[in-house]
Amino acid sequence: MSRHIRNFCIIAHVDHGKSTLADRLLQMTGTISEREMVEQVLDSMELEREKGVTIKASAVRMEYTASDGQRYELNLIDTPGHVDFGYEVSRALAACEGAILVVDATQGIEAQTLANLYQAIEADLEIIPVINKIDLPSARPDEVAEDISSLLGTPKEQILRISAKEGTNVEAVLEAIVQRIPPPRGDPEAPLRALIFDSHYDAYKGVVAYVRVKEGRILPGDTLRMMSTQAEWKPVEIGIFAPDMRPVAQLEAGEVGYIATGLKTVRDCRVGDTITSAARPAAEPLPGYRHPKPMVFAGIYPVDAEDYPDLRDALEKLQLNDASLVFEPETSQALGFGFRAGFLGLFHMEIVQERLEREYNLDVLFTAPSVEYEVLLRDGRTLRVDSPAELPDEAQIVEIREPWMLIEIITPTEFYGAIMDLVTKRRGIFKGQEYPSPHRVQLKFEIPLSEILVDFFDELKSRTRGYASLDYQFLEYRPDELQKLEILVNGEPVDALAAIVHRKDAYHKGQALISKLKDLIPRQLFDVAIQAAAGGRIISRANVKALRKDVLAKCYGGDVTRKKKLLEKQKRGKRRLKMVGNVEIPQEAFMAVLRLEE
Amino acid sequence: MEALQVEIESLKSPHLAVHTVFFGGGTPSLLPPSAVAQILETIARCFHLLPDAEITLEANPGTVTLESLRALRAAGVNRLSLGMQSAQAEELHLLEREHSFLDVIHAVEWARRAGFTLLNLDLIYGLPSQSLERWQSNLEWALRLQPEHLSLYALSIEHGTPFSRWVGRGLMPAPDDDLAAAMLEWSAERLEQAGYAQYEISNWARDLPPSPPLESPRYACRHNLQYWLMQPYLGFGAGAHGYAGGYRYANVLRIRTYIERLRAARQRPFPLSPAAVHIHRQTLEDEMEEFMMLGLRLTRQGVSLETFHQRFGREAREIYGKSISRLCQDGLLEILEEEKRLRLTRRGRLLGNRVFREFLL
Ligand SMILES: Nc1nc2c(ncn2[C@@H]2O[C@H](COP(=O)(O)OP(=O)(O)OP(=O)(O)O)[C@@H](O)[C@H]2O)c(=O)[nH]1
Ligand SMILES: [Mg+2]
Repeated sequence: MSRHIRNFCIIAHVDHGKSTLADRLLQMTGTISEREMVEQVLDSMELEREKGVTIKASAVRMEYTASDGQRYELNLIDTPGHVDFGYEVSRALAACEGAILVVDATQGIEAQTLANLYQAIEADLEIIPVINKIDLPSARPDEVAEDISSLLGTPKEQILRISAKEGTNVEAVLEAIVQRIPPPRGDPEAPLRALIFDSHYDAYKGVVAYVRVKEGRILPGDTLRMMSTQAEWKPVEIGIFAPDMRPVAQLEAGEVGYIATGLKTVRDCRVGDTITSAARPAAEPLPGYRHPKPMVFAGIYPVDAEDYPDLRDALEKLQLNDASLVFEPETSQALGFGFRAGFLGLFHMEIVQERLEREYNLDVLFTAPSVEYEVLLRDGRTLRVDSPAELPDEAQIVEIREPWMLIEIITPTEFYGAIMDLVTKRRGIFKGQEYPSPHRVQLKFEIPLSEILVDFFDELKSRTRGYASLDYQFLEYRPDELQKLEILVNGEPVDALAAIVHRKDAYHKGQALISKLKDLIPRQLFDVAIQAAAGGRIISRANVKALRKDVLAKCYGGDVTRKKKLLEKQKRGKRRLKMVGNVEIPQEAFMAVLRLEE
Repeated sequence: MEALQVEIESLKSPHLAVHTVFFGGGTPSLLPPSAVAQILETIARCFHLLPDAEITLEANPGTVTLESLRALRAAGVNRLSLGMQSAQAEELHLLEREHSFLDVIHAVEWARRAGFTLLNLDLIYGLPSQSLERWQSNLEWALRLQPEHLSLYALSIEHGTPFSRWVGRGLMPAPDDDLAAAMLEWSAERLEQAGYAQYEISNWARDLPPSPPLESPRYACRHNLQYWLMQPYLGFGAGAHGYAGGYRYANVLRIRTYIERLRAARQRPFPLSPAAVHIHRQTLEDEMEEFMMLGLRLTRQGVSLETFHQRFGREAREIYGKSISRLCQDGLLEILEEEKRLRLTRRGRLLGNRVFREFLL
């Protein structure tokens, strides 16, 4: 049976056409009818559709009759290409024997092409390189083929050239999957071992675990066991994605599918865990995943304090869909009860914010993201601080260490100078260069994470007309001259507005921040004094003058309804403001520290 | 005209006492006085029009003559509201007004000669680039005309108007709210000195002899008080609004459709005429919200909490207690306890929206 199964994922740099290729495969195998077809059909989340970006990997089973006349079961996993979601890719890889590496014929090899490729090679997958978008006039398939060939050693002629959009040569991709990717190994008669590579939450079925059965089989009536916690339960349903959830009578070694667990929280069903059967448990769990390390941290607070329990519920539910989200309760003097959450990157953070607002209908406030610092104290202790407000008094501190990253930038050679300039301005250190392919240079730098958190990527793109791409990984902690920049509103420090900055930037940033805040904080019924302080000195101050006039001049018989609507709108606007002491501060103010350059 | 008569007839209720009639919106002074007379006759025939009713007509200064004013007066109109707006040619031009200040002087003089003893002037302040001095001189010119009543409106740049487009494109400075506040504060003082009492956010009336401190002055516009006190009124004509019998409603705006609807003349229960299209049945919440947000516009008499109780069977404190205390604390509202009244403070008059919105449920 498993001889006729192929498990593969599609990997690429962002926007190279993974989801579009998946569309064609689903169509050609008849998994989706013409009527159901929409572009990037696997991007089913509202946000994915709106942004045209895959955020979450999705699995789907297809049936395909190959040219050898045999029927094959193909399990496809479409993955996201954005650098923040590399972790999603790594999990998908563990469920597959092969990967289709899509490379855009107009862009060539980019940073996540390499990053994802290396992950796939490490996971020992068969790789099928595919050059996509050959229909575009600016396509350079020969050049890209040459680059791929020198990277993988695949002969140029063997590299498929397709247009996922128009369907050109997609049949050949299906044949290559069948011929080149090995069928899964794994004994269906052995004790059950199934790897959870993803999950989502369903209100009726509880946590739905996405599994790759490595050995043994699962029948609906079996009592199952989590190998990490030893918790036992009976599944509500087992099935496959086709692409909607469809129940099946069994899942066996080699197959990809889902188990609706009926469990209610993420703690009971962790991604990376191994499921076995209670009746005949396996001895050893499968190797799981390295849990991703959150890179940036931010406070999440309900705008209305009464929504706190709802926010907690929402975060717990989100975590079921997004194993890389971590959070714990936090209290801010200014903002009250909330959570400190860790994210893989700013894009990830933005996605979480939007999902909380849309899918859970919550008004939330995010504080400016921060990296995690190590603080060595005079008493010999080392603190980890991911919230500037928690930085102890300067007198107690021996040194502050911040995370440094190794970044790799792939670019056409002409932008060498522009990139050097950008990186060195942000405390980056050049480490070397390589030529992964004849037409590209890969530059390596070391740079503090805090310097690339905001704007860096946009700057990089704009300086290279979109040609450069970036990948990064954590390197180590290094000390530097860092200090806390505090903001005081009417004399009171507002913890949620504090930032940790480099000593030489403190003055300039303090001033820029105050002038930003002066514009962002709406006029109130009284004067509001705002000040920036660093190293025990006030470095900048400004005054938001009291509001003098806000009244509708006319309100006669015909105006009542319209004027009331206007007041209602005002009132709603007010709800988006957070009361800090007796001052109303808008959400944007908490992010102001990020965009000081503009 | 014919449709209008039909509409009035359709709501005929001979026992309904009518205290005020107001010809307004658009430029009613373009109507021949005979038409005004005819409408008033119809009203008198269909309702119980009280002998001392206040009958106002809005007029653009350039559109009246001594003769037309005489005819209007003879027809029963006894209050005239003139859209003076400004005394400066440049500002009038900016506001796209056809008249000149000279027209205003004439209109006032003719009105007096025609026997009008109730005159109102409308003025606008806070125009783009208008200085405080400019505004002060506008008001001084208006005062020299000795009107019984003055309405001072801050220019509001409403979305979709040419002004908002010009400001948006940087062709015109955005109005300066602080300066507008200064203008209003100065005006309030100046008018008090000149013997006028402010009784609404934008309205002043001559107050000689002085009326009791918690009452609107004698020369206040009775018709407008009707709106702010949430008393019923009927609206006739295309685009007219009404509030009666538990409804707020508005007639179709397009004159053609208005006429067609009245031709088809479908009878509906009072107060809905065949032309009413936007019909809203007031909920208890609507009524309470509007009672507060309209009543608090009356800067002299404020809202009577006793009336609130009589009308809704509940104490305002029960419903709005928290908002009332906070607004009093913030210095925007004051309670005149022995009188059981709630009123905007001097500061609150300039920050009315902050107050009104707290009374929305
Ligand atoms: N002309 C052309 N456009 C294509 C082709 N394949 C994909 N595109 C377009 O490229 C864009 C990105 O395609 P997606 O399939 O969403 O790319 P992706 O790799 O899934 O992107 P992420 O999931 O965000 O990493 C879309 O606008 C597609 O329409 C192709 O063969 N030819
Ligand atoms: Mg995609």
